[in-house]
Amino acid sequence: MDHKKRRASTIRRLHRSLGVAAAIFILFMVISGMVINHSNGLGLDQHHVSQPFLLGWYGLDAPEQIHSFAARDNWISYAGSQLFLDDSHITSVSNGVGAVFSNNMLIAASSDELLLLDTSGQLIERQSWGPPEAGPIESIGLLPDGTVVVKSTGQLWMADAELLGWQPAKETISKPTWSTSEPAPLPLIQTITQQYRGEGLSVERVLLDFHSGHIFGPMGVFIYDLLAVAVGFLSISGLVLWIRGRRNGKRSNGVK
Amino acid sequence: MSEALKKIYLLVVVISMPSLALAATVYETHTEFLNRAFSGTPPEPDVIWLSGERKSSVRELLGHDYAALRLRYWCQSERSAWVLDEVGKDLPITVGVVIEKNYIKSLRVLTYRENRGGEVSTPAFTDQFNGIALTSDDSLDQSIDGITGATLSVQALSRLATVALYLHADSGCKNGS
Repeated sequence: MDHKKRRASTIRRLHRSLGVAAAIFILFMVISGMVINHSNGLGLDQHHVSQPFLLGWYGLDAPEQIHSFAARDNWISYAGSQLFLDDSHITSVSNGVGAVFSNNMLIAASSDELLLLDTSGQLIERQSWGPPEAGPIESIGLLPDGTVVVKSTGQLWMADAELLGWQPAKETISKPTWSTSEPAPLPLIQTITQQYRGEGLSVERVLLDFHSGHIFGPMGVFIYDLLAVAVGFLSISGLVLWIRGRRNGKRSNGVK
Repeated sequence: MSEALKKIYLLVVVISMPSLALAATVYETHTEFLNRAFSGTPPEPDVIWLSGERKSSVRELLGHDYAALRLRYWCQSERSAWVLDEVGKDLPITVGVVIEKNYIKSLRVLTYRENRGGEVSTPAFTDQFNGIALTSDDSLDQSIDGITGATLSVQALSRLATVALYLHADSGCKNGS
């Protein structure tokens, strides 16, 4: 009988200690789980983290290089795989090679596509670099009359007035002015760098990683596993204590 | 920073950001799509601008502005072909839609970039769109069966089907011009 009492007392003590320790964890899991369930509605997938510590923790460093091109009164910059118009992030793009302004449009060129923007940064069209016989775009420039021209594996290609189609340029055309990378103002570079790091990490992602323990690495996942086992133990020990309490209650009622 | 700590950081990034490691899946190039749509002889592209009332209508159909202001489409007789993009969860899905006489003739995913929900790219799913038209209140006249785990992608494809049908009717192509 004493042995049974001692065992019940041990379970009760363990249940109490683990319950207190797990309470914070359970509360955190409940709240974070509820927030994650509504992350789309709350717009957490659209908001990005800007805290330097968190960005550093995720290894989101500044881009290795930022290439900026002056077009009209604007700066078009390629930071890693991101395109910026002045200090506004526009979209993802790979291997930016230049930018020009023509026909009231800003034209940003990468090795395999052209992005047509209005001066407010609204995307007009994203054109895959199409001529089947053409290689990757090497550079983009303007003829003296404003015609957009690109160089692709040594061949020059001229756009039509609406920038809808491309034709091989004749050898007799005037010499184009090629878009070349220029040093942009330092404050602009700093703003782009800050945005570049922030665009890579949504609040939803951080919350998901906190919820799963991944944010603390493999050890975090292991600790979360232990806490989950503790919660499992609490439910079993609670059940055992409840059954014992019920049985003891019935017995004492019978004695009376 | 110690080597061990660097490894932990790297592991955190690898574990927590798996989508970065996944490349886009191209099921059909634009050229292949157009050749299929027009039996190997696609016409020259036309252009439609998303401005004014058309822009508002597309915004209503998508729930947001379309990502571009100018769209190319290809029209021959009463058949038109559209290449449209719409974000499923995080990344744009590129879809090719062929419309003939105000009915969808075919809808195919050309490029899928999301890391989940790729089941919408299978013909078994996209064939559901064949023969669908718009109702008078600009919605699809048949329901599309969903796929568990790909809800957002299914919704994105349904929105694009609606927009393509609307643009076809709004362009001159419905008259065969």
